[in-house]
Amino acid sequence: MKKHLLLLPFSLMVIFLTACRVTLVPEYNARLEDEIARAAKANDKLYIDMLDATPERRSYDTYKEKYNDIESDINSIQLRNEARNRNEDFLKIIRNLKEGFSEAKNYHKERNLLKDGEIKAYQSTLSALWKPLYIAERSLKINTKK
Amino acid sequence: MRFDIDETLSDMLKAIRAVVKDNWSMVKDNANTYLQDRRLRLELLASLRISGEIEESFFRKRLKDEKKILESELHSIAIMSKAIAQRAANAALDVLDKAIGKVLKL
Repeated sequence: MKKHLLLLPFSLMVIFLTACRVTLVPEYNARLEDEIARAAKANDKLYIDMLDATPERRSYDTYKEKYNDIESDINSIQLRNEARNRNEDFLKIIRNLKEGFSEAKNYHKERNLLKDGEIKAYQSTLSALWKPLYIAERSLKINTKK
Repeated sequence: MRFDIDETLSDMLKAIRAVVKDNWSMVKDNANTYLQDRRLRLELLASLRISGEIEESFFRKRLKDEKKILESELHSIAIMSKAIAQRAANAALDVLDKAIGKVLKL
């Protein structure tokens, strides 16, 4: 009887440890990684297409739909991240991306035509705002390894 | 079977070390990529400004964006470090779990 009583705290510890897993980051999501990669590619292509066009064919209206598609992709990525646990760092990265994208979109809307230099600068800045989000999502993969 | 706490703690530490060592290069490599990217971006912005392809106010706004980029990069490094810490902590807990499981089976 005494032996059984001694085993009780030990058994409780085992049950606790079996159920206990440390969680510091969200779970890896392959679909989200793909969505980030596709949206980042669309954003890059927007500027590649603009650079390819003659300056007079770079009006905001010509690219409005592409801007809106990318903006809606960013909103979707944000929504998916808001639904995850331990999402603080991800939400801050997405907030910076949204602000950067919105500033670039509004600049084009106000000026209507962009110069080569402005397109190159935005392409470089936006790419740098997407990269940490993609790398962060991919880094979560290590917790899926057995 | 006796539960050897010292041996278990030592095995837990080994599990943590193995996980951190195997994955630390991921953080280092990405941090270096961020640094290299920043250098190329600043070179591009400076050359666009010098050649007059962008105006001073536009140039200054892009430099302000660098603060946002750096903040995002640091958050991504924090995520990488936390992901490694999570894997290491759970590897250590698995060692403890197995050690206790062995004792209870007897």
